[in-house]
Amino acid sequence: MVISINKKLFFTGTILLVLTMVFLDDLVEDWGQIEDAPEKLQTFFSEDLWPPDWSVLEAEVWVDGSLHKPNGDICDESFELFCSKAWTGMVVTLKMAFIATLIGFIISIPLASIAANNLAPLPINLAARIILAGLRSLPSIIWALLFAIAIGFGPLPGILAMTLYTIGYLGKLQYESMEGIANSPLESGMAMGLTHSERLFHIVIPESSNHLISQLLFMFEYNVRHGAVLGLVGAGGIGMYIDNYINPPFDYDRAFALLIVVFVVVVVIDLISMFIRSFVTEEGDVKRPKWWTILLPAGMAMEYYNQKDVEDESEAETEAIEVDINPPLSHHAQQVKKLSNLEESE
Amino acid sequence: MQDVNSPLNDEKKADIGTSKILNLKNLSIGYKEPLVSKINKEIIAGESIAIVGPSGIGKTTLLRTIAGLIIPVSGEISHTIPKRGGIGYIPQKLGLIRHSSVRNNIALGARTRRSRWYPALFPLDRSLKNDIEDAMESLNIKELADEPVRILSGGQQRRVAIARTLIQRPQLILADEFLGELDSENIKSIVKATKKIIEEIGATLIMVEHNEERALQMADRIWRIKGNELIEDGDFD
Repeated sequence: MVISINKKLFFTGTILLVLTMVFLDDLVEDWGQIEDAPEKLQTFFSEDLWPPDWSVLEAEVWVDGSLHKPNGDICDESFELFCSKAWTGMVVTLKMAFIATLIGFIISIPLASIAANNLAPLPINLAARIILAGLRSLPSIIWALLFAIAIGFGPLPGILAMTLYTIGYLGKLQYESMEGIANSPLESGMAMGLTHSERLFHIVIPESSNHLISQLLFMFEYNVRHGAVLGLVGAGGIGMYIDNYINPPFDYDRAFALLIVVFVVVVVIDLISMFIRSFVTEEGDVKRPKWWTILLPAGMAMEYYNQKDVEDESEAETEAIEVDINPPLSHHAQQVKKLSNLEESE
Repeated sequence: MQDVNSPLNDEKKADIGTSKILNLKNLSIGYKEPLVSKINKEIIAGESIAIVGPSGIGKTTLLRTIAGLIIPVSGEISHTIPKRGGIGYIPQKLGLIRHSSVRNNIALGARTRRSRWYPALFPLDRSLKNDIEDAMESLNIKELADEPVRILSGGQQRRVAIARTLIQRPQLILADEFLGELDSENIKSIVKATKKIIEEIGATLIMVEHNEERALQMADRIWRIKGNELIEDGDFD
């Protein structure tokens, strides 16, 4: 059997792989250090992390038996969970991330619009890009450290650090999506004599809304995750508790439980993002690919497909009498039908 | 059909049939190398011109140069058209915002009737909003007002692009193959609606069209690009 390969792709792939191997070999001096890594990891996992200590979802019990919040206030909530370190820490982190993401987004949008090369001249592009690069070249933990030195511990240095990093990071993602929008609406806008801000708010933002929403929610998620790290410099939130647990006396199982809470929140944010973006993505009646077309190798998938086809046909024969000739249309199909009827009537 | 756009306001109105609106002097157009050279043309307000010729010969480039999107290789374009809202441009891909509603797309044209110093996020005033509703009604797209443009058919999208341009009340409309990919019924209704409104607002039209038959439905002057020259056919009234 002759397999035809794309020579350019093959050579580029090979060169990139070889370069990766060369760099890796250059950086790693002692390959022997990975020999017993799995055992070490397993020991750490089974002895220190597993099982997670879910007491982080409970309120603190003082010697007199009363329940308290982590800050010492008496717990007067109907659910004990609301007084736990996981809840109170996560609420603070979510609030910090929300403020930082929103303010960062509001500042990064105009900056990104002058950094995009289809919206502003080159000298302005360069100036804006230098500002954005400067803001994101310091990791948020370093910004947090600087602000903690300047204004002390607590959520405020965390919020400021997250905001500055958000502007730099989100700004880059935004100007790249703005550069990716179709030229034709922009050209119309320019010929019509629309101003820069009119083009930004009424053409560029709606055209790149899918990406902008996705980036905004990704940044929110990123800031929530980073809330766990910023605690290391006393920036408050759930990170502060994680920091307490990974320092002596090393309550790794509790830290692990808190990390699971962060993970769950991240997954929820991702689902929300998927839902919100569904309003600005292309919708259609094209059915989703079946699992076997993704997971099985092409040959096997084809065999499975043929087999499935035969099964479906025989099933269809037996159910033929029950099948409704006009099955109910999906919402989108109904919309399309309504529009085409309208067009015909014209 | 309801009257959409009242005629051009006095400030914008050019003297239809008498005043020169656009003058192309010794114009060479192209990207670095000229595609078409020595274009010398005068356009009187209210005329309809079609640029015809085979694909890739420079029709769109000429239109985009007139629109001010491309710098000419040499020569001069002089006109008396106001920079804001004076030119309505319908590119080949229509230039609509796919995720925005029909109403918001048309509102883009209405925005040019406000001062450029007006904050972009301020809502349109009542009279402009009414004009948008009237424009949608006259082009039979009122039922689609809140639908995102991406789900409309080709014909409906063209109507939106036309409504957006006409609501500007521009002095000059530049349209690039805006009748392309339409069936004859749709062409008929769109040509009829567009012609009527162009006459009402007294605009000048320059359109690019590779199909001469379609060009003749709209235009009274034909510019033909042959080789790297622009030749005028004469009047087709």
